[in-house]
Amino acid sequence: MEEIDIDEEEFGFSRNYFLAKESGKSGKKSARKLSEIDLVDEQELRAEVSNIEPKHEKEIASLINSYKSQYNDWVFELRYGFGLLMYGFGSKKSLIEDFASTALTDYSVIVVNGYLQSINLKQVAIAMAEVLWDQLKMQPKGLHHKDEQPFDSRSMDDVIGFLDGPHVSENECLVCLVIHNIDGPGLRDSDSQHLLSRIASCSHVRIVASIDHVNAPLLWDKKMVHVEFNWCWHHVPTFAAYKVEGVFHPLILAHGGTSQTVKTASIVLHSLTPNAQSVFKVLAQHQLAHPDQEGMPIDTLFTSCRERFLVSSQVTLNSHLTEFKDHELVKIRRHSDGQDCLYIPLSKDALEKLVLEINQ
Amino acid sequence: MAPSVTDDLSLPHISDNDLKPFFVLHKASPRQHPAKKSAGKARRSVKVNLSASLDNNHEAELLDDQSHENLRMKNFHNAWMTIESTIKECMHNMNADVFNEIDSWVHKSFDSICSNGRPDTNKATCSYPIVTDVTAKQLYTALVVMNNMEFVDDLQTFADLGVHLNSHDCHVANLSSVDFSPKTGVGGCLRSLSRQILKGSIDSADISILASWYMEKENFKHPVVVIIEDMDRCSEPVLSDFILMLSEWVIKIPVILIMGVATMLDASKSILSSKTIQHLSLFKFILGSPADRLDAIIEAVLVKPCTGFLLGHKVAGFIRNCFLRQDGTLTSLIRAVKMAIVQHYLMEPISFTMKGLLDEHTSLADSWPNQALELPSCERRLSETKSEFCLGGPSKMKEVLDLWSCVVLCLHEVGKNHKTTLLDLYYEALDPKLCNMRDSDYLESKPDHQRSSWNHNMNGESVKIHKGDLIGHTIRQIRDLSPVALFKLLEKWNKITDGVNEIHEKVKELQSQEKLENNNLKETAIRSRRQAIRNVGNFDKCTTALNKKAAVVMSHMARDYMQPIESIPFHDIVCFTDVDKLQAGLLGDPRKRIQLDLLGAHTFIKCSCCSTKSGSSPISTMHDTTLMYSLAQEYGDVINLHDWYQSFRGIVGQQTVKDRNRSKVSPSPKKRKTAIEPQKKITEASIQARFCRAVTELQITGLLRMPSKRRPDYVQRVAFGL
Repeated sequence: MEEIDIDEEEFGFSRNYFLAKESGKSGKKSARKLSEIDLVDEQELRAEVSNIEPKHEKEIASLINSYKSQYNDWVFELRYGFGLLMYGFGSKKSLIEDFASTALTDYSVIVVNGYLQSINLKQVAIAMAEVLWDQLKMQPKGLHHKDEQPFDSRSMDDVIGFLDGPHVSENECLVCLVIHNIDGPGLRDSDSQHLLSRIASCSHVRIVASIDHVNAPLLWDKKMVHVEFNWCWHHVPTFAAYKVEGVFHPLILAHGGTSQTVKTASIVLHSLTPNAQSVFKVLAQHQLAHPDQEGMPIDTLFTSCRERFLVSSQVTLNSHLTEFKDHELVKIRRHSDGQDCLYIPLSKDALEKLVLEINQ
Repeated sequence: MAPSVTDDLSLPHISDNDLKPFFVLHKASPRQHPAKKSAGKARRSVKVNLSASLDNNHEAELLDDQSHENLRMKNFHNAWMTIESTIKECMHNMNADVFNEIDSWVHKSFDSICSNGRPDTNKATCSYPIVTDVTAKQLYTALVVMNNMEFVDDLQTFADLGVHLNSHDCHVANLSSVDFSPKTGVGGCLRSLSRQILKGSIDSADISILASWYMEKENFKHPVVVIIEDMDRCSEPVLSDFILMLSEWVIKIPVILIMGVATMLDASKSILSSKTIQHLSLFKFILGSPADRLDAIIEAVLVKPCTGFLLGHKVAGFIRNCFLRQDGTLTSLIRAVKMAIVQHYLMEPISFTMKGLLDEHTSLADSWPNQALELPSCERRLSETKSEFCLGGPSKMKEVLDLWSCVVLCLHEVGKNHKTTLLDLYYEALDPKLCNMRDSDYLESKPDHQRSSWNHNMNGESVKIHKGDLIGHTIRQIRDLSPVALFKLLEKWNKITDGVNEIHEKVKELQSQEKLENNNLKETAIRSRRQAIRNVGNFDKCTTALNKKAAVVMSHMARDYMQPIESIPFHDIVCFTDVDKLQAGLLGDPRKRIQLDLLGAHTFIKCSCCSTKSGSSPISTMHDTTLMYSLAQEYGDVINLHDWYQSFRGIVGQQTVKDRNRSKVSPSPKKRKTAIEPQKKITEASIQARFCRAVTELQITGLLRMPSKRRPDYVQRVAFGL
């Protein structure tokens, strides 16, 4: 029975994929453009985003509060060597921090914000070692001799060795590492994950982490999952807004929209010499006049520019072109007959707008 | 940090700490034990309240509860410690032979290196060891074949090997493939080597330091053993460099290499260049097979109730499936058992009495606590007097369990010849239906072809045996045993059943019969050769009769003594049966669950506005992201942003029924228009903002891929179906 179910499931999975693929291709794939929406200005949009009126506030709050009854179980699991891995839709940041500050008072807690772009794990490990050192000093039977070297000048192996030291007394000295978004952009590479898993397996360390990405488990191999992190999964959807986590993501309607690129392009063009602007205009007019062509051959551009006394030699034209290419105003692609062609990577509407703007 | 102060957690404010890569939330406060137990207790005390007698003294009860909880935690700790040490012992026994073999080989190799000339201080001081003889550059290398692609299971084995050799006068360093990465190069592994050998006092990658250390004091009397856990995963050039370097220095530091090989024995040849291979003089050792280890661990931990903690049939089935289909590592199996035991102690309030099973000296007078009478396993049998059960207590249960495990082990002895794994047998022997089937004929020794077949579908489906058939099949196998095999089997049964009187008697009887017949045959054989030839047929008859008897005895044993744990009253106290809980903790399924969260948000949010209406159709009151995700389901593999936005806008802009009614009432349509227009203007920006945020949130969950430059107006869907 079970086997049949599993096969069915897998079959369904692949079938869904192909169905989706097919419905994407078949016939009426909409060709509407984002530029058709009357987009508001980016600044206004950002202001609006930060003022979005939350929905279901009460219900979400009570949902999050309902997890409080599990705190004790979580502490128990943590104490016996499991790492807690929280997943489910919604920001789990406040939930985990609340858990850490109410239920983990026996441990020192260090929080890592994995949603940030870059995180120096060595600094984290050093901070953990320092906190642990303070904790060990308080122990009555502290047998630890003060090492002459401060932690920041020691190697990573040394720091991890210290964190993995033997427990001296009956009272366990534990440092809890809380990682928001262990699958976040700053920690997503395999080096970071290996380092984290080594830290997590230390005898003085316990780990609580959250993931949001559906494919996050692909970050870990069997050794990391079973031996080092030793995850105990908890499904805790909160439906709370990803406020901080989403701060660094570009807004889809602000980025990449036509108005935006036209704006940046015109700013760049205005900073160039009038001659350069005119060269660009020649290219733009050619592209507007021949929308089906793959681009304008360099020779053609040179001749028509020289005719208008815009450039005197190939060298000057090239210097203009380099400028354009650096700002991604112009790109080169190979024509079907092997010739290099220049084109402006903008849609027709956008290009028209741009030409209007330079003419002003 | 606002949320920790207030009770309302749903409003995170971006603070300074949120934008720091990391920060210290708080430092450990001095222990305050009473404060620790707060939230979870309420639930448990309610549970216990239900079952406890009507005791009005609430405070006393709380105190009681507290002490029970402490006892429970203590029991858990003991149980887990026992399991852990049992597993360790098990592995130790499995590996003992190989370890001793390796140990003696190491010392022999060391002697032969030293016979070429003991290292002395004079030589060590020259910057380069001068070696003229090529054979002297040979590095003694042991390839330890793991028989197992899953190197996770062998990490502990190599750690144990290191400890073993260390205790037998060797300097040992355990390296792994992480040390042999191309990033750090040969310096990385050398550093790690000297860290371990020099006990971390010096952090440098210089082999001459190692050489001069080796000359010091007593160090040079013992060999240096370098263990590389997983050779197959090492970077080839780094490993080659390392080996070449060691072979250059072998006169000064007699290093002996031990490399774990997961794939093939000739993996060394495919990984290393022939030039490097020349420097190795290879020996091979083979570790026990993973199947044997699995059987040993299951026997020690699960079949023999060493801790008083047991798994239910379904849980055993889940663990078995995980092992067979998903992971295949012992490590994960052990992890599953640990998770089960943790969950059991967390869920079962009266697991504090579990110690009863562990205690060697439980007396008959011991009984289960009163609360236990309310357990479902007990309530089912209300017809009988309760006190009778309670009197039985833990000792009675232990008796039953001992019998059960004894029969299972006997069965496994039979099945061993046919490669029946203990895991399968164990799983089937736990089936509570076995108890009901006792009266039917399923254990009768009928020939195979009369039963639902598992012989017929040989193409790898032997796992999928009809329920209750594996045991029956195993019993039938006794009939086909050769006399020698039967003799051996009886010997083993004799050993297993020792101490369990009910079964031991029967086995003894069988054995004596067997001896008798054997002697008879021998006598006749001596009497006349001729007769003896005729007697071959006779002999066969005798043994088949004996086989039959053994089979009958076995099936009686299985019928009478193999009482599955879940059919015993009070099993709830010691037996973990909640598969779902175990599965949820062990295998999160973020891909499915996160999508389900989004598609069925109202089951979690439980609001009055969305849940009452028909489940899946999008409504304006829904959480924005879940609304967007359910809209996205209508698209193919790519979603046109414009269309998506328009449909989102359409739904969000929809008026609720209430609003519509109100607008209908409004007297003039013109007025209405002017009233609504400005409001719409304001909301356009906010709708766009909400759209943006929903897309960002979906991007964080990984369910969407952002537009590429080539397709700026489309986002790509990543997940199709759950």
